[in-house]
Amino acid sequence: MITLGHFLALSAVLFAIGLFGVLTRRNLIAVLMSVEILLNAAALAFASVAAYKDPVFFAGQLFALFIIVVAAAELSIGFAILLLVFRHAGSVATDVVEEMRG
Amino acid sequence: MSAVGFAILAGLVLAGALVVVLSENVVHAAVALAFTFFFIAGLYLMLGSPMLAVIQFAVNAAAIPILTIFIIMTTQSRRVRPASGALYLIAVVLAGAFLYGLWGLLGAPQTAFRPVSPEGLGARLLSVTLLPFEVASVLLLLAMVGAIVLARRLEK
Repeated sequence: MITLGHFLALSAVLFAIGLFGVLTRRNLIAVLMSVEILLNAAALAFASVAAYKDPVFFAGQLFALFIIVVAAAELSIGFAILLLVFRHAGSVATDVVEEMRG
Repeated sequence: MSAVGFAILAGLVLAGALVVVLSENVVHAAVALAFTFFFIAGLYLMLGSPMLAVIQFAVNAAAIPILTIFIIMTTQSRRVRPASGALYLIAVVLAGAFLYGLWGLLGAPQTAFRPVSPEGLGARLLSVTLLPFEVASVLLLLAMVGAIVLARRLEK
């Protein structure tokens, strides 16, 4: 039988893969795609906990819905900023936006 | 829910995610992202949550990869330079530490899942979380207007 632990383990591994991508990617588009994986891993964990543990209120599933909404908003704004970076620097490599780093 | 189906879907999700974070061609990564989200929608279906599966399919598996591929074509950045070995090492160590810290929490008791009906979810969405629902719609409107304002060309 598939238990809640299986789903949580899958979402934890998925989150670790996305974290790896955010840390290693050198292209802003690829970084944003890795962030999408992170958000989906969290949504999967919320939804599976709701399906197994919360048969009345479905709070986790509502959280997953709002995560999808916020991810869509974040991605559209992120891509708009990325277009500005591309027009400003002619590239979307992460090296071109390191002027503000400490 | 069959264990074989879960294993196949989980394997496909993880393989797709690995292609997304490792492929040197960003277009391949975007297509793999679409497949990853598609298989996550399949997992939601197995979990008895058809509403979430449909939304995952429409928004994450269809709209977001298409937007991503548009941006890749606009910025002409198909290839990415691979990161340095030290960065890979740091990322693997951090991701491994994250997994190790989380693994102790996964010993969940053996209970069966309950299907979540779309009617119930919709009723909850429009009663208990009505205010967050409205705030989310305003957030989407703001994101749309903000993206247009940010990305338009300034007339000189």
